[in-house]
Amino acid sequence: MNAAAQSPGSPSLWALAWRRLKRDRVGMVSLALVGGYVLVVIAAELGLVAADWAREAGVNYAPPAFAGSTDSGGPQVNADLRTNATVRHEPGIVDPLASVLNELRQNLAAAPPEAPRAATLPLGGDKWGRDVLKKAVKGTETSMVVGLVAALLAVAIATIMGAYAGYYGGRMDDILNWLYSVFTAIPYLLLVLAIAAVLNQKGTLTVILILGLTGWTGIFRLVRAEYIKHRTREYVLAADAVGASHAQRMFVHILPNVSHVVLVQLSLHVVLFIKMEVILSFLGFGVGVDTVSWGSMLNESQAELILGKWWQLAAATAAMAVLVTAFSLFTDALRDALDPRLK
Amino acid sequence: MTLSRFLLAVLIALLLPGCDERAASPSAQAGAVQQKVLRFTFQAAETGFDPVRVSDYYSGVVIAAIFDPLLTYDYLARPAKIVPNTAVALPEISDGGKTYTLRIKPGIRFSDDAAFKGKPRELTAADYAYAIKRFLDPKNRAQYAFLFEGKIVGLDKLAADAKKSGRFDYDAPVVGLETPDRYTLRIRLNETDFNFSHVLAFPMVSAVAREAVEAYANDTNAHPVGTGPYVLKQYVRSSKMVLEKNPHFREMLWNAEVGDNPENHQIAARMKGKRLPLIERVEISVMDEAQSRWLAFQRRETDIEYQLEELAPKFMNADNTLKPEFTSQGIRMERSVDPEIIYLFFNTQEKIGDAPNPFGGFAPEKIALRRAIAMAYNVEDQIRVIRKGQSVRAHYPIPPGVAGHEPDYRIGIPHDVRLANALLDKFGYQRGADGYRLQPDGKYLILRYFSQPTERDRQFDELMKRSLDKIGLRVQIQKERFAELNKLADQCRLTLRHAAWIADYPDGDNFMQLLYGPNSGQTNSACYRSPEFDKRYEQSRRLPHGVERNQLYREMARQMEADTAWLLTDSRYRNVLVQPYVVGFKKHPVYAHEFLYMDIDRSDARALKDGRP
Amino acid sequence: MTAFIIRRLLQFIPTLLGVVLLVFILFNWIGGDPAYLLAGKISNPEQIANIRKQIGVDQPYHIQLWIFITQIATGDFGVSWATNEKVSTIFATRLVPSLTVLLPMLVIGALLAMGLALLVAYRRGSLTDRAIMIGCTVGQSISILVYIIVFQYVFAYQLGWFPVQGWGQDFWINLIKFSALPIIVGVAVSLAPDTRLYRTFFLDEMHQDYVRTARASGLSESRVMGVHVLRNAAIPIVTNVMIQLPALLAGAFLIERFFSIPGIGREVLLAVERSDFPLIKAVTVYVAMATLVINLLTDILYKAIDPRVQLK
Repeated sequence: MNAAAQSPGSPSLWALAWRRLKRDRVGMVSLALVGGYVLVVIAAELGLVAADWAREAGVNYAPPAFAGSTDSGGPQVNADLRTNATVRHEPGIVDPLASVLNELRQNLAAAPPEAPRAATLPLGGDKWGRDVLKKAVKGTETSMVVGLVAALLAVAIATIMGAYAGYYGGRMDDILNWLYSVFTAIPYLLLVLAIAAVLNQKGTLTVILILGLTGWTGIFRLVRAEYIKHRTREYVLAADAVGASHAQRMFVHILPNVSHVVLVQLSLHVVLFIKMEVILSFLGFGVGVDTVSWGSMLNESQAELILGKWWQLAAATAAMAVLVTAFSLFTDALRDALDPRLK
Repeated sequence: MTLSRFLLAVLIALLLPGCDERAASPSAQAGAVQQKVLRFTFQAAETGFDPVRVSDYYSGVVIAAIFDPLLTYDYLARPAKIVPNTAVALPEISDGGKTYTLRIKPGIRFSDDAAFKGKPRELTAADYAYAIKRFLDPKNRAQYAFLFEGKIVGLDKLAADAKKSGRFDYDAPVVGLETPDRYTLRIRLNETDFNFSHVLAFPMVSAVAREAVEAYANDTNAHPVGTGPYVLKQYVRSSKMVLEKNPHFREMLWNAEVGDNPENHQIAARMKGKRLPLIERVEISVMDEAQSRWLAFQRRETDIEYQLEELAPKFMNADNTLKPEFTSQGIRMERSVDPEIIYLFFNTQEKIGDAPNPFGGFAPEKIALRRAIAMAYNVEDQIRVIRKGQSVRAHYPIPPGVAGHEPDYRIGIPHDVRLANALLDKFGYQRGADGYRLQPDGKYLILRYFSQPTERDRQFDELMKRSLDKIGLRVQIQKERFAELNKLADQCRLTLRHAAWIADYPDGDNFMQLLYGPNSGQTNSACYRSPEFDKRYEQSRRLPHGVERNQLYREMARQMEADTAWLLTDSRYRNVLVQPYVVGFKKHPVYAHEFLYMDIDRSDARALKDGRP
Repeated sequence: MTAFIIRRLLQFIPTLLGVVLLVFILFNWIGGDPAYLLAGKISNPEQIANIRKQIGVDQPYHIQLWIFITQIATGDFGVSWATNEKVSTIFATRLVPSLTVLLPMLVIGALLAMGLALLVAYRRGSLTDRAIMIGCTVGQSISILVYIIVFQYVFAYQLGWFPVQGWGQDFWINLIKFSALPIIVGVAVSLAPDTRLYRTFFLDEMHQDYVRTARASGLSESRVMGVHVLRNAAIPIVTNVMIQLPALLAGAFLIERFFSIPGIGREVLLAVERSDFPLIKAVTVYVAMATLVINLLTDILYKAIDPRVQLK
């Protein structure tokens, strides 16, 4: 996230901002924390850590190692599960697989012993005995990717629309503003449910799309206002004079000058979307069954807390709180650095 | 964070004084005058209380308390036994199981209602004939219309006419529904059916007064008027229902069949011969979250808690008894198996729409694929982890407590992952480069498992994926909402899905029809069509409950296993928690308005202490 | 002013039309076929056709859309497909519980956040400011789901200070007994973001010229802050609170669901589960109207409080 390195347009603004940011101790600590999370995400993405999160390493609801193993003494299964391999005989009924199964059964080698399951895990286990720590790491990866990509999508939609509305004004502005008022007038819950129904798929991509397609409205208004402000500035008129096209003026000339607004909105929305993913999971539109996210963990842990299995709730909440706090503080620092007047 | 704690303390200080004003609540006030109030919860919202317009369990509980069917089930007899309710006696069945004649007790009154314009209104046989006709009135969209469709002589013609004209003619004579006098109802059936009494004991088939139905026209769901023990006193939809004793309820004495069960004797000792109902007021609240229901029961805000499956480890020991901290308070637990089956079904059609179904049809390799999935699916984990041990393995398509259940029958499909793998190898389902199996002809193989987007279903998704990964089958979880799943089921488009069926009435036919070929796309979601099965099913329809029919049922169950159309998984336990002062509760397998037969006794210090009746 | 209001009211029409069209398309075409839900356990094609006819979904789309528009014009959305209850009755009966929780929540939340924000804005840059701001950020970083689960567990279950859930008939009992914990949860959740937001409002005001003038003219600091700054910052704060209300009506579903409050949010979830289209249409249209009206009201309010504001 080195802002100075990517400074098109007016380097002095970005360099100044970076210098200011460096002086902000809270901001730098937050940046380091966010960086740490990013490293974890990259490691998880490359399969270096938590690749085997789905492995059932411990017993069901294995408690955290530091809490020690205490059997909660819940009810046991006494179901009668032993049965024969073939469908039993009943007059006139034939099992077409009977002979094949009998033959296969005879040739089946003795079962290898099952790997023993750990009684405790570093941060405890979930209902299948999966390691909560690994789930939290994997969940960090999913949630951060969801938050970041969805925020990028929302910002992209909002910036393009905001640019067109603000730059052209007139009919274009009316239409886009109309779209904005329609989207903000519909209750957010219904909008989410409706878009989820349209997409009719489940998985990480769907979560990203739902968040991105519903979350652009606030940014749109801000970007639009910035473009209205900038379109009559001298440097834009100068660009017009040297023959720059409208698109060039919008995205090559003006965009760098409003990008600090966009950047702050981007990081605000990352945080917002990470939190929204939890709600989407509650509504049943979370990530797929082969993925884990903070939202899916929190929703699982809802029933676990009352059974005294607090570790998954604690792990997911802590992982999320640290990142979101760091990210928010960093966003504040960034905003202060970019716009010192407001501090 | 000292600050937020401080703020919280401020807030609590601001709000707390009000919290102790419990005495102001109506139930507490009622308690002061010793009114007998029973409070319990529903897990999901009810729909309404017009017997023909609803079909959900929760609406049924209230309907059963307000309305009267002709017949009912004995409170204590197991398996459930039909006894007369408003009828004088059990029906006279004549004409080889085609004619049912019932006499109604004279002098039974409907509860007072504005629709009767201040006059007492007596129950007559015509009220039952009218109630049955309502099921086939297209306007009512009755979900239980199937109970009567094609059954009663002349009734379907009337329904067909109504569809054309748009108006159901309730006054037209129906040969199959005659009332030769004020108190006699004669029902003529198109075909022999010795089990029709179950339909007449169904709480939705209760007497309604035509005046009341017509007076409330489109809002009958909020204005139930019946002859039953309770009246609806207060109704906040999807939130709260208050029933109060019907002051005109006929004389009905507690007279259940005790048998030789010692528990029943204890109940009878406290209840026998008392005039019902003893509980004067019933308050039902809707609470969606299990956590809320559990906390409410613990704090004695509810008197009975019907379903806390996922929280079982909170209150149960390893041996499925109640933990001592609850027994010491006098709380009791009533444990029984629900009359239901949960099963995993396979679409057995060769094609779904135009697409070939990877495991459809009856070729050996297709049956082998279905069998392998059934052998790989970990039912034990479903019971142990998802159900928290609160269900019992289902072996037979007819659950315990239902006529035709075979307690000694054992399912012929074992859980054996290695054998499943060997079976797939044998039939040529080779593994591809990514470790997942291909079809015998080398084509891509993917199975689609359908479920709802809920946290609960997610656990099943996880289990399905874990199980199928172990035999190298690729599964795609397809999420649909409930209505959409129903639609797909009706079109025979669901490939693989868990389903549950709870008894409408406690007879095996209600379960075996789920596999009958012609019911494909209605209740037979597997769209299973086996000539061997269907032949035996048709024979069974003409037989009363007994040895002969049971033999046919056993053969049908084996046939279904041989074809592997279903994998039966489990039937859930119901662990009902009862506060110490509640007397005479015993879970009934079919109906859920046990409070009619119960009492509340707060005076008995002994009951409060050790919880024995 | 009148011209402004009329112009804004006229602008409602295209927005509402957009809402109507969007909702209609989204839920009608892809929202699942309600007939299969209403048909229940055992259905056959004939029965499905009958249900479709009874509820009118067998009509061509343009006729259904026209019916929808006339429903909006007359305010009569017919009856719920699931329960046959009149939609207007559903709305009326669910609104009161929702507001019983939401209004105190918004007011208490806003007052607390204002006090806190004023304090930290006045001490801007101090250790208190930074500590509280970081505290707010941490508080804000925890999911509302965790707040609800933990608060319900700790305050209702373990400490027994509140009923776990419930709702009655008496307004005061509902407010004092049953709404207390949901309100606390709501305030706890909104306190951190509100404090941060209001702090910026106060800071904005404190940079204004009139503050400097007031100070220069010798007014006491408490008077400058307590009267001038507070009065001027009140505009964006009140606006913020008002604008939240319609969104919260449907948006408080988590709280309503966990505490079994028979409000609008819970009803919406239920309606979507049941594909109860009349109810979904009504909620959307009513909430959209409320949003538009409140937006207009806030603009008028701006004008009333601060004559300098230009209405465009």
